[in-house]
Amino acid sequence: MMQALEFFLMSWTDPYLLFLTAAGTFAGIYIGAIPGLSVTMAVSILISFTFKWHVNEALTLISGIFLGGVYGGSRSAILLNIPGAPAAIATGLDGYPLAKRGEAGMAIGLTTVVSVIGGFVGIAALAVAAPALSEFALKFAPRDYLMLAIWGILLVGALSGGSLVKGIFAGALGVLISMVGLDPMTAEHRFTFGHVQMTAGISYVAAMIGFFGVAEVLVQLHELKTRAVRQDVSRIVPSWARVRKHLPLSMRTSAIGVVVGALPGAGGDIAALMAYDHAKRSVKNPTRPFGQGAEEGLVAPESANNAAVGGAYIPMMTLGIPGDAVTAVIIGALYIHGLKPGPMLMIETPHLFWFIVGSLVLANCFLLIFGLTGIKLFAKIVETPKPILLPLILVLCAVGAYAVNNNPVDVYWMLGFGIFGYFLKMYGFQVGPVILGMILGPLMDKSYRQAMISAEGKPAQFAAEFLSSPLSAVILAALLLTILSQTAWWRRWRGTA
Amino acid sequence: MSVEPAAQEGGETARPKRPPGELTFCALLLLLSLFLLWQAYGISGFESLTSAGMFPMLASATMVVTAAVFVRQSLRRGPAQSDGHWQAFVAQVTPPIWLGSALAVCLYMLALPRLGFLGASFLFLLLSMRLLGSHRWLLNVGVSAASLAAIYGVFQTIFSVVLPKGSWLQNLFR
Repeated sequence: MMQALEFFLMSWTDPYLLFLTAAGTFAGIYIGAIPGLSVTMAVSILISFTFKWHVNEALTLISGIFLGGVYGGSRSAILLNIPGAPAAIATGLDGYPLAKRGEAGMAIGLTTVVSVIGGFVGIAALAVAAPALSEFALKFAPRDYLMLAIWGILLVGALSGGSLVKGIFAGALGVLISMVGLDPMTAEHRFTFGHVQMTAGISYVAAMIGFFGVAEVLVQLHELKTRAVRQDVSRIVPSWARVRKHLPLSMRTSAIGVVVGALPGAGGDIAALMAYDHAKRSVKNPTRPFGQGAEEGLVAPESANNAAVGGAYIPMMTLGIPGDAVTAVIIGALYIHGLKPGPMLMIETPHLFWFIVGSLVLANCFLLIFGLTGIKLFAKIVETPKPILLPLILVLCAVGAYAVNNNPVDVYWMLGFGIFGYFLKMYGFQVGPVILGMILGPLMDKSYRQAMISAEGKPAQFAAEFLSSPLSAVILAALLLTILSQTAWWRRWRGTA
Repeated sequence: MSVEPAAQEGGETARPKRPPGELTFCALLLLLSLFLLWQAYGISGFESLTSAGMFPMLASATMVVTAAVFVRQSLRRGPAQSDGHWQAFVAQVTPPIWLGSALAVCLYMLALPRLGFLGASFLFLLLSMRLLGSHRWLLNVGVSAASLAAIYGVFQTIFSVVLPKGSWLQNLFR
């Protein structure tokens, strides 16, 4: 217990780690606030610079960027009606009408406080649930991991409002990209096309920067003429009475955020939309009608999306399955630092878990400080013209991809994936499942082969084993239900029910 | 942002029209998937259900099936306009400013190992800012120089990233 506390407080007592957490949170808020710069993009680019660092230093920076970035998206949603991140889409629905009334300062202040509350709920859930879940996760058989990974990829396609079929394609593509190189079991060449350089595989950091960074910049080129509207930002800190009034809703929607965030593949964006929907249905007398500046319309999504951060860490730490695209990137970083997220990580290195929890709590405290200060400077940065901003992001992407192996080939891969990702996005494909597929591909391959070997290579026995334990049956049912929920038949049935 | 399919007039049964270039893109995805399936088969064929090529075959077969679904869906939706596909594609997907920027990025990536990080990035930033509509040269030069100095300083010293020096410059001073 004392040892856990010691690791929990490590980032609080070490000045350098304290500085890195603060810097990460600060950078996350500002990067997350700039429309077009997603948290995933920020984490992907910045993570590539931390590979030579000690793992603790990298983890503190990442914790800050993640929490700050999810929150930062709300700033531009309120001030400019342009969500800085998908998780802030719901925030703009009532935040911008408030800003138009000259109440942007109050809206940002309230958003900051409820985001911090949501963040604490999420981290508390992580601290309580993860140790228990990791022991339970030891009961998972290879077939369960295989199904969980498939379910995670399907959920991203299904819940993010996109087409499930496109999500499946993107996930399968990611899996195939992860197969490039030598087979870890037999050392056979897979998709190397006879090139020795390909045997090491494709750097998933370069792919991530390409899909999330370069592709996003190329998409943003279509919106160069979007002009920022200046807003009044005064009266920031909300009164205690206002916070107390919204506390029950904030707690309820934080719980939604934790649960949705903990689902493999679902993240803060889905949590925020579900929380907004919950607020609309459950709050009978909002401060103003929803969509016209209801404070409840800010409280619900902002509590939920920050609570989803702690939730997303739960499957990442206990099962090695990403909770969302950002945790997929973080898993990649942990692998590069020689760690293997999953139940054994929690059992063999519990100190690392408590260190992450401590860093997240610290980052959440910095979120409160940075969230309530520097709003005027913030408004200026968010208004940076895109003709200046976009080329700078591309330079950062190039440096990030190069830094992985000090190899220009990774930069070319990044560019190729960036252009391909642009066309995928233009035709309605999600790039999140590609990254999930890349991260989960090796686990899926290994789990499939282990499950098949345990079934003695007999397809009928392999299929039967999916129903052999209650756990496998439950995961299989969830997987099938996800597919079924995307069919026209299901939608017709729901519509007529 | 995506190329939104234009809704067709005429009641509930109306299908949205396909955006320009979608059918070609889906057909290319199908061809890519078939190629990858063939490559996956080439790894170890059907020698065993646990062979190195079995899971790649399953993944690429999934890609083939889903890509075939896209092609079918795209064909059923019909084109948004009967003529001027190419013009619509250029206008909506690859407008001149996009093509110019994409070309600038490609040149930048190629120049990076030759001119080095500072030289290539400075030229790229100046060219791109001008291309995207920032006409104030002094501001562009100032922002480019200041940001590169910050990036170089931070990444070279704090992050210990060895940025490319540039083969041409190194040969020049050899």
